[in-house]
Amino acid sequence: MSTPKLKTIPPHVPPHLVLDFDLFEVSPDLHDPFDKWQSLADAGAPPIFWSPHNGGHWIFLKYEDVRAAYRDHETFSNRHQSIPKTQGWPLLQPNGVDPPDNSKFRNLLLPLFTPAAVAAMQAEIRRRTRLLIDAFATRGQCDFVAEFSGKLPTGLFIQLMGMDETRLTEFIALADVFMRVEDPAAKAQNVRDIYGVLDEFFRHKGQHPGNDIASVLLRARDTPSSSVTHQEVIDCTFLLFVAGLDTVTSTMNCIWRYLATVPAARTEIAACLEQPDKLNRALEELFRYYAVSNIYRRVNRDTVYKGVQLKTDDMVVLPDNLANRDPAVFDDPQEVDLTRKVNPHLTFGLGVHRCLGSHLAKLEVSTALQEWLPRIPDFRIDTDIPVKIFAGPVMGYRSLPLKWDARA
Amino acid sequence: MKVIANLAICQGHARCAQICPQVFGTDAELGRVIVRLERIPSAIEEQTRLAVRNCPEGALRLASKDPGSSS
Repeated sequence: MSTPKLKTIPPHVPPHLVLDFDLFEVSPDLHDPFDKWQSLADAGAPPIFWSPHNGGHWIFLKYEDVRAAYRDHETFSNRHQSIPKTQGWPLLQPNGVDPPDNSKFRNLLLPLFTPAAVAAMQAEIRRRTRLLIDAFATRGQCDFVAEFSGKLPTGLFIQLMGMDETRLTEFIALADVFMRVEDPAAKAQNVRDIYGVLDEFFRHKGQHPGNDIASVLLRARDTPSSSVTHQEVIDCTFLLFVAGLDTVTSTMNCIWRYLATVPAARTEIAACLEQPDKLNRALEELFRYYAVSNIYRRVNRDTVYKGVQLKTDDMVVLPDNLANRDPAVFDDPQEVDLTRKVNPHLTFGLGVHRCLGSHLAKLEVSTALQEWLPRIPDFRIDTDIPVKIFAGPVMGYRSLPLKWDARA
Repeated sequence: MKVIANLAICQGHARCAQICPQVFGTDAELGRVIVRLERIPSAIEEQTRLAVRNCPEGALRLASKDPGSSS
C-alpha cells in the first residue's frame, strides 16, 4: 500500500498556480529525463507554478524568468537553498554565499579557471582521457559512466588540487557513493568521509605546498590578517569536488548517448575535431540541449514577480533545460543543430554565480571527443542492459552501456 | 562600428572571445572581456555581431557611430 505524498501549499500560493509535478520523481515509463520537463511545456503549464512536493517550491519555465532570477541575487539568493529544506548543510564557498561575501573565494579561484588557465591543463586531460579509453577500446563494450565519464572529473580534481595520484582510487570510490547513494543517512556519512579526507589532505599539504589550487587556498588562509578560515578552505574544496562531478559526468552521458543514437552527428563532429570554431559551435549546442542542472534559489525578500506573490524563504527551481529550449529565444529549439549560430544558453548559469568551472567543463568534453571519436568512431547503446534514470537538481543516467566493433 | 563592453555585467563566459578572438579576449584576473579593437574592420563585423548576440549576460553592445559624431 502506498502512502499519499505530503503536499505543501502555503496560503499565498493561489490554487490555479499549483501543479502536481515532483522534481525527483522518475516514472517507470520515463526513458529520457528531459522528457519529464518538456511534457510540462507541452501541456501548457503556467510559466511560473508551485510544485507541492518536497516541501513545496516554485518552478520558472521560461528563459526570460530563469534569466531574471539568475540576475537578481538580492531577491533570489544562493544562501541556504536546498530542496527539501535541510539543516546543517555546510555553506559552500563561494557558491553558497552571495555578494559581497562570495568574492572572497570567487576572486581567489577565478584566475585559476580562465580560458587561458584551463588551456594549460589540456595535455593532462588528454593523457587521462587516453588512459581511460585504453582500458576498454579493444573490448568492444564498456559502461560509459563507470569506466569513463564518472572517472575523468575525479582525475582532474586530483590534478587540480595537487593530490597524490595514489589517492585516485579512493576519491573515485567517494565520488561514486556521492553520485549514486540516495539514502540521506548514507549520503551524510559520505559527506563526512569526504570532509575527513580533505581535512587530512590539507594538513599534509600545508607542509608540502605546490603549484596547485590547494596551495593557493592555503596561502590565502595563512596570509596575515586573512579572513579565510581552515573550515572555509575545506568547504570550498568540497564544492570543487562535487560541482565538477555529476554535472560533467551527466552532461557527457547525455552527449555520448545522443552520439550513440545519431550516426550523422558522430560524423559531423568527427569531421571538425581539429577546427576550433566549428567544434565549439557544436559543443555549445550540445551544452544547450543537454543542460542537466535544475538550479535552486531561495527568495530573500517578499516580492511580486510578474504578478506572482513570492514570500521570503520560498524555494525556486530554475530548469536550465527548459530555458534553453524556449521557442521565444531559440529557433527550432527541439532540433540539435550543431551549426547553430545564435545560442545564448543558460547551461552555466548567469550573473554572480556563473559556473566557475565552465571553461574546464568544456575543455574536458571537447578533449574527450577528440580522443574518443578517432578511436571509437561508431558505437551504439547496448539495449540489452537496463539503464537507470535519475532526476532532481542534476538529472541523467546511472549507467550507459555502449558497444562497438572492436578492432584488434 | 565599435563594440562597448559593460564590465559590471560581464561574468567571464568568454563566448565572445571564442566566437571572435580577433576582437575579444579575456583578462587573466577575473576572466572578464577585453575588447582588443577600437574600431571593428568590416571584414569581421558579422562575427562581432554574432559574438554580441551570444553573450548570455547581455554585456556587449554595438555602436555604429562615435558618440558626438554629427553624421
